[in-house]
Amino acid sequence: MNSRDLLDLCFRNLFRRRARTLLAVIGVVVGTCAIVVMLSIGYGLTANFQEQIESYGNLHLIQVSANGGSGVNADKNDLKGIINDKTLKTMGEIKGVDAVTPVVSEYMTVAVGKKVTQTEFVGIDAEVFEKFNYEIGEGRMLRPSDKNGVLFGNNVPMWFYNPNKNDWSDEPEDVVDEKLVITADWEYGMKKKSSDPDKITYPEFKGKGVGVLASENDESSYRVYMNIDDLEEIIAANKKARKENTTANGRQGKTYDQAWVYVSDINEVEDIIEILKDDMGYYTYSATDWLNAMQDTARMIQGVLGGIGGISLFVAALGITNTMIMSIYERTKEIGVMKVIGANLKDIRKMFLIEAGLIGFGGGLIGLALSYLISFLMNTVLVGVMGSIFSDIGGYGSSVSIIPWYIAVGALAFATFVGVAAGYGPARRAMNLSALESLRNE
Amino acid sequence: MKQETAAQAKPLIRVEHVRKVYRMGEEKVVALNDVSLSIYKGEIVCFLGTSGSGKSTFLNMVAGLEKPTKGEIFIGDIPIHKLNEERVTLFRQKNIGFIFQAYHLLPMLTALENVSLPLIFRGVDHKEREKKAREMMKAVGLKGYEKRKPTQMSGGQQQRVGIARALVGTPKIIFADEPTGNLDTNTTREVMTLIVDQVRKHGQTLILVTHDRSIAEYADKVVTIQDGNIIKIEAKQQQLQ
Repeated sequence: MNSRDLLDLCFRNLFRRRARTLLAVIGVVVGTCAIVVMLSIGYGLTANFQEQIESYGNLHLIQVSANGGSGVNADKNDLKGIINDKTLKTMGEIKGVDAVTPVVSEYMTVAVGKKVTQTEFVGIDAEVFEKFNYEIGEGRMLRPSDKNGVLFGNNVPMWFYNPNKNDWSDEPEDVVDEKLVITADWEYGMKKKSSDPDKITYPEFKGKGVGVLASENDESSYRVYMNIDDLEEIIAANKKARKENTTANGRQGKTYDQAWVYVSDINEVEDIIEILKDDMGYYTYSATDWLNAMQDTARMIQGVLGGIGGISLFVAALGITNTMIMSIYERTKEIGVMKVIGANLKDIRKMFLIEAGLIGFGGGLIGLALSYLISFLMNTVLVGVMGSIFSDIGGYGSSVSIIPWYIAVGALAFATFVGVAAGYGPARRAMNLSALESLRNE
Repeated sequence: MKQETAAQAKPLIRVEHVRKVYRMGEEKVVALNDVSLSIYKGEIVCFLGTSGSGKSTFLNMVAGLEKPTKGEIFIGDIPIHKLNEERVTLFRQKNIGFIFQAYHLLPMLTALENVSLPLIFRGVDHKEREKKAREMMKAVGLKGYEKRKPTQMSGGQQQRVGIARALVGTPKIIFADEPTGNLDTNTTREVMTLIVDQVRKHGQTLILVTHDRSIAEYADKVVTIQDGNIIKIEAKQQQLQ
């Protein structure tokens, strides 16, 4: 039998017992729908988690902290856990790492005109900082040539206040191209100062605002950035004012407490963290850590939801098997006739397999269409209601349900497979029916 | 003349010492005792016997639907009793046509499609098999009924479709198991004439199985079976001429 005739015959058989076929198909539709919609909610959750995590900080950024090692007993050649120029270079050579900068930081006061604010000053290597993909909202990026140039995080300009007046406003202070004063003195600009006799007199440095970052409400927006050399000078001066030891150079040369590593492909972040932690001995922090934990949660939820969907499809498979077995009873005589007048045994088996497969495929197709509709409704009509439910388990964001293409294709293939698998037993049974017995079955 | 060629030629069907025993639980039922018989090309042979005489068992074994407990069956040189189910099915597909008492048409197919069915199983392409099936429909006098479903036809018409189906692939041998068992006398006469005419026209061999003595009138040779034994073989050559 050629395949066209076979398919034609199968379709006729299915249409002949319309009601039963329809019921079996509906079973598959429900099963497919359950799986796809459940999984889509899982994917929606993951996407929402990602959105959420991105607000916690840059997912491309790994913050590396030094892990001891600068003690007297440290071996000069043992650079494990040490951040210095040599290890920074090694970090930069890790596959997937786009840029590395050493980081120093100091909490200080910055003043523009009569207004002041306190913030974290972060010294970075301006040359590689450009590669970190920060977007500039106002002014320009920090350049290595900017002597005491300050790049503001988006929120910082809003924090300026006049220490002698009680006028708080959320209006951002204009800082670009303005002259700044940077000092560790907490009381800078106050007319009335505390009368503590031990008060340290910190030096004041002149600076200049160069730009403001565009990104709001992530961790970059709460800091200001300077060239690392400039900030180190200021820190050294501050230490001197506090009469602290400033000889920071240990046996490993000049070391840093922190470094930032930028990775352009988020998927590689995890591997690179592993190298930094396990092979190089650093502490690391990355927003991806959160992402992984949340993704694990999402995966678990997805597994549970998909499992529920899987059960429905399993029930649908039973429905198909039942339909096909019934169909064999009903068509016993026909099968016998076909055998007697010369239908190949394999064709008979194929016929039943194809019929079952068609139920699976048809149900899968309709189920998929329905899933897209349900997904669409969830994301539009139900987004308010569903959103509030799902925010409890950690997700918020624009879409409740996402159906990736591979889930669509996979579900369709799976539904077809389930159909064929469910039809396999009945198909064998039909093939093995005795032609003679079948004919006697009158 | 037919008699001469038949006597000299090698038989088309050779049944040698065939015995068939059914097991019904503890009991053994002997359906065929020890049957030997030769059937020649172009012969119309009628097996006559009451229900339970073993005549249908005989037909089923020659068609390869059942295996004999003992003995050998050859069609041409092919040992039917040795073929496995797959090969015997293939053999039937190419060499044997079947006419059933209950017509056994497939209800979801039209008359024309039912007639085409053996050709569909052979994998003959659509155009060719449609042409052959139409010719066959015409030959059995059902021109114009091509699009009808079996349920929309009378018993006689359905049996004509059944005959067309059995003949469409021009098989060497046609088996007919009580082909008129469900038909009235007039239709029986029409249907039998049709079968015999067609078979004679194409030089095919027909094996009829019936309990109806009047059907036996159409055969060249009548084999009477009783309790699993052949008790009588009559040549009806004279009468037919």
